[in-house]
Amino acid sequence: MKTLYQHHFDSIDGLAQRLAAVDYIASREIATSVYLGFNLEKPILVEGPAGVGKTELAKGMAEILDVPLIRMQCYEGLDESKALYEWKYGKQLLYTQLLKDKLGEMMQGAVGLAASIERLHAHDDLFFSEHFLEPRPLYQALHQERGCVLLVDEVDKSDPEFEAFLLEVLSDFQVSVPELGTIKAKVKPIVFLTSNNTREMSDALKRRCLHLHIPFPEAKLERRILERRVPGLSATLNRELVAFIQAVRQMDLKKQPSVSETIDWAKTLLLLHAEHLSLDMVKGTLNVFLKFEQDIASATEQLPALLQQARKDAESPRASHA
Amino acid sequence: MQATLEDFFKALRGSDLKISLNAQIDAARAVELVGWSDRTLLKSALGTTLAKTTADRALYDEAFDRFFRFSSFENMAAQDPPDQDQDKQTATGSGGPGGCQGSGGQALSQLLMSGDSAALAKRMQEAAREVGLTDIWFFTQKGFYTQKIQQAMGLELLDREISDAKRQTLAPERAKALELARKKLFVEVRNFVERKLALFGTAPTRQLHDDFLQSQKLSNIEKRDFARMHVIVSKIAKRLAERHSRRKKKRVRGQLDFRKTLRKNAAYDGVMFETFWRSKVVDRPRVVAICDVSGSVRQYARFLLLFLHSLGEQVSDLRSFAFTNHLVEVSDTFESLPVEQAVDKVMQAVGGSGTDYGQTLLDIEAQLLDDIDRRTTVLILGDARNNRGQAHAEVMQLLYQRARRVIWLNPEPVSFWGLGDSEMKRYAPYCHIARECNSLAHLESTLDALLRTHSASA
Repeated sequence: MKTLYQHHFDSIDGLAQRLAAVDYIASREIATSVYLGFNLEKPILVEGPAGVGKTELAKGMAEILDVPLIRMQCYEGLDESKALYEWKYGKQLLYTQLLKDKLGEMMQGAVGLAASIERLHAHDDLFFSEHFLEPRPLYQALHQERGCVLLVDEVDKSDPEFEAFLLEVLSDFQVSVPELGTIKAKVKPIVFLTSNNTREMSDALKRRCLHLHIPFPEAKLERRILERRVPGLSATLNRELVAFIQAVRQMDLKKQPSVSETIDWAKTLLLLHAEHLSLDMVKGTLNVFLKFEQDIASATEQLPALLQQARKDAESPRASHA
Repeated sequence: MQATLEDFFKALRGSDLKISLNAQIDAARAVELVGWSDRTLLKSALGTTLAKTTADRALYDEAFDRFFRFSSFENMAAQDPPDQDQDKQTATGSGGPGGCQGSGGQALSQLLMSGDSAALAKRMQEAAREVGLTDIWFFTQKGFYTQKIQQAMGLELLDREISDAKRQTLAPERAKALELARKKLFVEVRNFVERKLALFGTAPTRQLHDDFLQSQKLSNIEKRDFARMHVIVSKIAKRLAERHSRRKKKRVRGQLDFRKTLRKNAAYDGVMFETFWRSKVVDRPRVVAICDVSGSVRQYARFLLLFLHSLGEQVSDLRSFAFTNHLVEVSDTFESLPVEQAVDKVMQAVGGSGTDYGQTLLDIEAQLLDDIDRRTTVLILGDARNNRGQAHAEVMQLLYQRARRVIWLNPEPVSFWGLGDSEMKRYAPYCHIARECNSLAHLESTLDALLRTHSASA
């Protein structure tokens, strides 16, 4: 089995730079984990609050390596047939009906049951070949000629049974299809698993993976992310905006605004041609990054104080994440 | 290098982190890749391979900072000990048994007088490894290890020098200075040992304490240990729940549902493409727990309730009652509050003295008997000490006839049953199981049996 992992990165900083080139600004912690995962040939289990860029990381890696990203979204009740392969049942049925006459011709001259079956056997298991196979994400990932980045998204939502099945795939990169035999990966894919921690993953799965926790970024990192993701945003607005979001994260909220929300908000403000954060504008756009009525209400209440703090922090960027 | 890493793994285990062999290998390979030179890099590299959850990561961070904190000797000199050198030296220096005597061949006194903190720290590390400091468990071992390490560092030689200097009238200052340095050395080594004890000894001693708590009589457990007990109970409950949920899943699929299969496949000319299976009804135990909460047994009741409610969905339909002289349903309290708080509240609310089993049984007959059917398990916890009142054992007989099972848990040993005002001998014949139950270990085996018989008969 060839491996994509042979595609070495020379250093952690080099990896971070290349990720930055595809607009993913990685902290050193993230770059270290990815670098190690790459060199140790291990899947990486990425945890962290929603919207901090867990999925983006996998996308970024796929872009760097110039291989397809295959994404498998997990949910309750996901099973092998949805994740690996399924027989195209309808197609099989249709073909047998269409080919009824042909089958009749083929059987001509065969005397007795045994002879007929013998003849059928000469034609292999036509109906259980790859033509009738519906490949699902895992199967596709194993079949990529040039390898791929496999993203198993929200693995914590899947059932324990499926998790056990995943173990086999992740450790050997091969699966057995009863009708076709064992299918081995042509090129070992690079695997990211993401989890939002709705349930504890099994020890066996954790043991096979490296663990990476992505927290909300610090102000400095978040500013760099914004610079990259929202070009055209003025430096002052960038600083004020990040300081404001960081201040909001200190509040006791139902759902804290994440990086993706910061980006959305920055884009919104850019569209509104804002140069500075003003009270009215913030009030009008709170719903871009706060998703609960309660949160919006409590933020509106403290808005002047938050703004003042954000402006102060923006002027002295060092103190912005005290 | 390898030795340092191994010591670190040991320290991680000491802080309650489970590290698999696999992770250790990964960690070693990661270190090879990133090297020892960058501390933050080393921290994140080891962290990503060794810590497997976010909670573990916090533990790991703490352990890392404590482990790679450099042994001080700051008061000896102003110099900061360069860290990586220290690691390198420890690895090479610990080669032979004599390795510690001569790191650089210098005598301890020379090191002390020159105030070379780095060399001293190094010497101490080597000595610590030689005497096996990583095996330290108890605070009582502190003196022993401190002494051992000092000796390994060359204390004897130092003492001889001090006494020599004292004899020579010419060098009283040198003797004084050496003695002072010796005292400082003692303090440093002692501090070092204390830090290591905290690092390596915490988890094993806690484990010992946990084992002790599990076999201890529940009534003897002191209030300060309650928090720990809650942790243990929920751990065991989780384990039980996991074990029994898995077994159940396997049993859900039953026999082929032939009729349904035929009916559904009529569309395919009776060719059976799709099969249908009968599903089995998952039989989760319905439990009615009736607990005596009078002074003598309330501790036991506390933990039984805690345990039952920690089992979560493994026990569907759990109703709990408490009594001293009459029956009170307390299920609501458990539904509205977190388990630990609920237990406390129940204990406070349903109090009073003078247990009356007779009255309670009559209450059961009046309030509860209609709800008990062939699927219900009745769990009674009490010492059956009735203060010489009426026993009303006939209600027990009714219970016995109606319920699937009646289990009586008695904190008293069997030999005490029936002595004095105990009515246990009268109640016991109407119980499917009557057993002594006074420690967590007992509770665990009882509840395990309760869950097992249910899934086996499903």
